[in-house]
Amino acid sequence: MDPNPRPCPLPNDSHPEPPEKRLATLSLRSAHLPPDFAAAEIQEDDDEGYLTAASRGGSSSCAAAAWKDEVEGLDDDKDANVGPPSPSSSGYAGERGSSLASSAGVDDPEPQPDDWARGKKHVDEDDASASWRKRKKHFFILSNSGKPIYSRYGDEHKLAGFSATLQAIISFVQNSGDHIKFVRAGKHQIVFLVKGPIYLVCISCTEESYEGLRGQLELMYGQVLLILTKVVNRYFEKNPRFDMATLLGGTDAVFLSLIHAFSWNPATFLHAYTCLPLAQSTRQAASAVLQDIADSGVLFALLMCEHKVISLVGAQKAILHPDDIFLLANFILSSESFRTSESFSPICLPRYNPMAFLYAYVHFFDENTYLTLLSTRPDAFYDLKDSRSHIQNVLSKANVLVEVQKSLRESALHIEDLPADPSSLSLSPPPQLSEDVNSQLLSSETAIGGPAGLLHFIYKSIYLDQYVSSEFPILISNPKQQKRLYKAYQKMYASMHDKATGPHKTQFRKNEDYVLFCWITQEFELYAAFNPLADKMQAIKICNRVCQWIRDLENEIFIYGAVPSLLGRYMRD
Amino acid sequence: MGLSSGAAGDGAQLCVFDLRRGQQEGQELDKILFFHPADCPILLQLSVIGLCEGIITFSRIFSPDDDCEVIESENHSHVFHQAEADIWMVLVVEKNKDSELTWRCGALQGILKEVHSLFTMFYGPIRTLLDRQPSAELARGHLCTFVTDYLSDFSAGKKLQLPTFRDCLKERGTVQMLTISREVALEVQSLTTVLGSCLGNVMCQSLVLFEDLLVSTTLPPDDTLNLYTYAVLRLTPRALSSYANSWSYLRKGTSVHAVPTSSSSNGTASVERYRNRSRDTSPGGQNQMHHYFRPLQREKLYKGKDGFVTTDFATSEIRGAVPLAPILWFQQAEDRMHLCVYQHKNITILLLTPASSLINGDEDIAHVKRHLLEHASQNIVTVEQKLSRGWGGENAYHVGGYRYLLVDPDRKVSRASPPGKVTTLSKDSLLSLNRLREEIDLEKSRAGRSDSGHDKDFEVCIRAKNNSWVIAKVTRGRELYMALEKGGETLLYASTAVEKFSNRYCEGAFSTD
Repeated sequence: MDPNPRPCPLPNDSHPEPPEKRLATLSLRSAHLPPDFAAAEIQEDDDEGYLTAASRGGSSSCAAAAWKDEVEGLDDDKDANVGPPSPSSSGYAGERGSSLASSAGVDDPEPQPDDWARGKKHVDEDDASASWRKRKKHFFILSNSGKPIYSRYGDEHKLAGFSATLQAIISFVQNSGDHIKFVRAGKHQIVFLVKGPIYLVCISCTEESYEGLRGQLELMYGQVLLILTKVVNRYFEKNPRFDMATLLGGTDAVFLSLIHAFSWNPATFLHAYTCLPLAQSTRQAASAVLQDIADSGVLFALLMCEHKVISLVGAQKAILHPDDIFLLANFILSSESFRTSESFSPICLPRYNPMAFLYAYVHFFDENTYLTLLSTRPDAFYDLKDSRSHIQNVLSKANVLVEVQKSLRESALHIEDLPADPSSLSLSPPPQLSEDVNSQLLSSETAIGGPAGLLHFIYKSIYLDQYVSSEFPILISNPKQQKRLYKAYQKMYASMHDKATGPHKTQFRKNEDYVLFCWITQEFELYAAFNPLADKMQAIKICNRVCQWIRDLENEIFIYGAVPSLLGRYMRD
Repeated sequence: MGLSSGAAGDGAQLCVFDLRRGQQEGQELDKILFFHPADCPILLQLSVIGLCEGIITFSRIFSPDDDCEVIESENHSHVFHQAEADIWMVLVVEKNKDSELTWRCGALQGILKEVHSLFTMFYGPIRTLLDRQPSAELARGHLCTFVTDYLSDFSAGKKLQLPTFRDCLKERGTVQMLTISREVALEVQSLTTVLGSCLGNVMCQSLVLFEDLLVSTTLPPDDTLNLYTYAVLRLTPRALSSYANSWSYLRKGTSVHAVPTSSSSNGTASVERYRNRSRDTSPGGQNQMHHYFRPLQREKLYKGKDGFVTTDFATSEIRGAVPLAPILWFQQAEDRMHLCVYQHKNITILLLTPASSLINGDEDIAHVKRHLLEHASQNIVTVEQKLSRGWGGENAYHVGGYRYLLVDPDRKVSRASPPGKVTTLSKDSLLSLNRLREEIDLEKSRAGRSDSGHDKDFEVCIRAKNNSWVIAKVTRGRELYMALEKGGETLLYASTAVEKFSNRYCEGAFSTD
């Protein structure tokens, strides 16, 4: 832990700067600040208002910009240690980001962790490069005047012409009173998303659905808002040529991590979060202490281990959307400066309130486990620091952090552990599952993967907005295979939740890679993947057993009584 | 500008343009070979084509080998088909909030492919017309009359009524066959042999249709499809009595014969210029000369007293230049042939004689006709009687409880539940099935692009929110689509239903074992 946290010594709460000024100052200063802002500098900024450099010092822009400077100067050995943690069941490390420029070809070779951690992105490429054109999936953010803001590959400045073309296409259609959604050409899909003055475009040949890619662009936009808030729109109103790229300076790693998550993290399409499995008593201990804090003026308190939630509580009526949790975790985990010291940073939760900053106190207890306390008060640093200290004491005494590490090592759901007892099937399975099948025991000896060819599953509790997924079996240990399965799930999700015709109730899908099942009831959604040779009846039985297994484990794998997100969303909508 | 004129109720637009033309600034109009509606303001036409060209060029940056297929926007879909190198056809359909206007891109593309295939059969490739006459007057003239006549089938008032989700159990670009017994097959075989010898030593080709269903063909599949499509559009007894309500899947609504008045269809001069080149041997060459040759013009087609379907294409001023039978270009057979159409009750015979063998033109055709009447009449009567006896009527291929579509893309053949039965499905079921078909279309094109080169099997079975089952199964290249509304709630029920259907009606083609 950093012994000398350097928060902004907050002067006058009574005269907060208007958001415009925050942004203006921010754009000027972010690039100059060190990773952990110094008190002296903060004080210099006091004249301009506490929310300017001071608050942003530990904030996204600054922290990430500094981090970028830091990591880009590192040699490869050091680089290898930089980068987000690798979730146990994701195949994360092997799939990081982009690859070398020489790797031209539609198939990006499996990139090295170093590439990903470096946060860039083949800056030598531009739209004239054959290698750039052959990248499987591009993401662009640009302004409505055609100024490039972000590109996954290549240097934004070199892509100004390309960006202008994208803008021209979007505007051309807009001028006719219409809005372009996508273009399809062979295996390529160009998906457009217009958010006020900000345009987002994905060009992909990954065979993902339009709905899936559009959802990813929505998350990209959410990540922009998390860093800048929607107030940035006002700058475009004042000056259409406003250069937003500088405001996002140094956040490449955040976006690369986000893009990477699209291929491994089901939260990106399920719009639900996942929890770290813990004994009920351990989680209760964590929740109790977080609740104490929430009662004392904190808006949200989250204890997370990597991308998994250990506990979260919110102040009364405060609603935390799973997408906000995902974007916040992505921001924290992809910004190295959060790990090196406690930080206090303005962030926006786009689903909570896209127009305003909250103030996030972030502290890592160990390599994976971190506490995030969100407050509406920009001067809350010392209070939050004290709260953290209190929480840390309680967690240590209750052995929670040790249990967390233990869970991380041991508590994953393995399909091989699926209970074999068929008697549990009698407990009210969903109607679609109630096949009248001879209840012969399934032979796991002959099965490929789990019993009856089960390879993997994801179970989402609709009321809780939480999901749980199994570990990948050895058969799907290769990151490419895992990515393929996630894409199959994404497609299935999009098909089940089709806007015009969905949500459907059941889906069975078979291709040369998998047999996939999906059931949606009022309570849950189950996605299960089987070996393509799996027997349909046997697979249905297994799905019943998975559902029962999850019910048996629900107290350990889900958080009950957390922020009432779903209910709250209904009320808000 | 842009996608539409912005006026409400635009309906659809269909344009044909050549990217090799009008490359200089200010000459963009020269790209346009056809635009529907013809009275669409020029600026709007240029705007539509400008967007299409822009997107084609842009998408080639990333996808140089694959054509742009669709631009989807909130209010419109632009569906593309590169009919010939650099010659594009684009259909623009308008959406509204009413889900009635839900299209399937593949179905709309099917319209473009169909109209181009038919056009080529009568006039040869568009590029050939353009090469022959670089001013493009001829190509524009033919496209204008032909495509407008084709679109008249979709006209409903001023608008076009194109196939929507309600047509998701139909497959354009396929032939619907009549299943016949072995005994009848032998009769048909004998008829085909007689038809083949109508020109003495030169082999004639033939198609035999009963109602709107194909009984036999001697042409390759692509050519069969084109001619069959034409027959069902214009030549069968149903088509000839066109104002009656039809159950034919190819026709929609009643016809409004909008004869274009656009300046691009100016004709007399070009007709005069080309009328004398009667010895033209290029594909479709002879038809190209006659500006008023309109094979899809419904009112010019009628069945004569002698049983032959004839045309009244020739107007007084160019009478004599038009043969009694049109010459068709068959791409797959690589031959130009004269078409003679003979009808007896519900049977339609399409007899094709190689153009190169008709040295004396109309005289030879008259000979062929005589030969047909003298030698094949009895066979025709026999076949017609037998087919009529065994014919189950419009609902002949209805299977109780099922609403289905079977497609064999390799053979270009399909069979479907009768449209009258499909209409009993709820809107939700049809929308779900339409959506599923869209997804399967994408999977098929992916499989088609993959290196493996073999057919990929897949199966999707969905229980929709209205409790109907919508099913798609692709096995060894053959496709089965199905909607089951009254059935059990378990997946097992749906699987068993497919299995039964496959075993009973598809020779087990979609069965699991």
